[in-house]
Amino acid sequence: MLVMTKFLIIFLATLLTLFSVEMLTPVQHGVIQPFTTSLATLSSLLILPFDDGVISQGRILRDVATGFAVSIESGCNGVEAAIVLIAGVLAFPARWQQKLIAIALGFIAIQALNILRIVSLFYLGQWNYTVFEWTHLYFWPVLIMIDVLVVFAIYLKWLASVEPKALTS
Amino acid sequence: MIGLRQQLVMTLILMPITFALWIAAAGLLAGPAAWLAGFILEQMYAGIVASAALNDTLFIVSVEFGNVNGKIVTATEAGHELVFEVNTQLLSYSIPFYAALLWSSKLQNPANRFALGLFALWFTMALGLIAIVMKDLMLVVGAPFLAAPGIPPGAAIALLYQFSVLLAPTLLPVLLWLTQLQGTPLWTALQQRLIRDPAA
Repeated sequence: MLVMTKFLIIFLATLLTLFSVEMLTPVQHGVIQPFTTSLATLSSLLILPFDDGVISQGRILRDVATGFAVSIESGCNGVEAAIVLIAGVLAFPARWQQKLIAIALGFIAIQALNILRIVSLFYLGQWNYTVFEWTHLYFWPVLIMIDVLVVFAIYLKWLASVEPKALTS
Repeated sequence: MIGLRQQLVMTLILMPITFALWIAAAGLLAGPAAWLAGFILEQMYAGIVASAALNDTLFIVSVEFGNVNGKIVTATEAGHELVFEVNTQLLSYSIPFYAALLWSSKLQNPANRFALGLFALWFTMALGLIAIVMKDLMLVVGAPFLAAPGIPPGAAIALLYQFSVLLAPTLLPVLLWLTQLQGTPLWTALQQRLIRDPAA
């Protein structure tokens, strides 16, 4: 029980620290907003082979024909989900090399699903605004958190396979 | 107790059911949290908040400020109160997510555990509603609100708001579920891994 409490304390402390740092204006301007812009650019590049009527302008993804646009804001860039994963990985005992691999691959996994979220919302919004709202506000945040859980579960399984005695007994 | 992979698949299967129930009863499920948030706001900030009540899924807060030609004045001077509407579903979707996680775990006494978890979620939802109202007041009313006694600094309100809306609704259900796994094989396995610290 004590070790679990220790894990939760380290997890929450790391989480709150990273979350607070993320909210700092210099971090938002220097890191988060450029990263979010790159997500919009990457999303448009992935869509372009199938739909050449899409452009990205900063954090905005726009359909040229209809004028419909989505702006990628805080909470939609996958950074908060990545912070949860990073806090979990850092709080869980493993070698630093293992932690860094988990964070790097986990970040890619989260962002892959997040780009799917952005693209799906871009088209759902053009189809039906009510469905877009529900999916955007309630459905995708839960799916992204489940993605974090899946990544963490895979990480634990990987740790157990690297050190087989760790999770068996 | 089932494995984590099966658990997550079952969670995904249960989610359409729990979310459908939540849509049907969203106002009811937000009730206790809205009542608590309203009670705290009316008691702690009586000079700012005139009334707070839930209308279906909207948490409606009237404040002792008004707007005359773009200038913020007291409600008495303005002859009206500013009213803020908060969509409680922004926070209450944590309930169907938590329900799906918990009911897919095949734990003993799931109803008791769910009831305990629900109380914890209502409490955090109430804090979230207060944070949203304070954020709205900070943006609309501004300096007169921030200068009122007992109001936290703007940066703290902003941080609490972001945490309540961006992280809490999806993170808290997972943390509650995790703590309620206590005594299960999955919990034991995690605990053993934590005890055997390779980094130490």
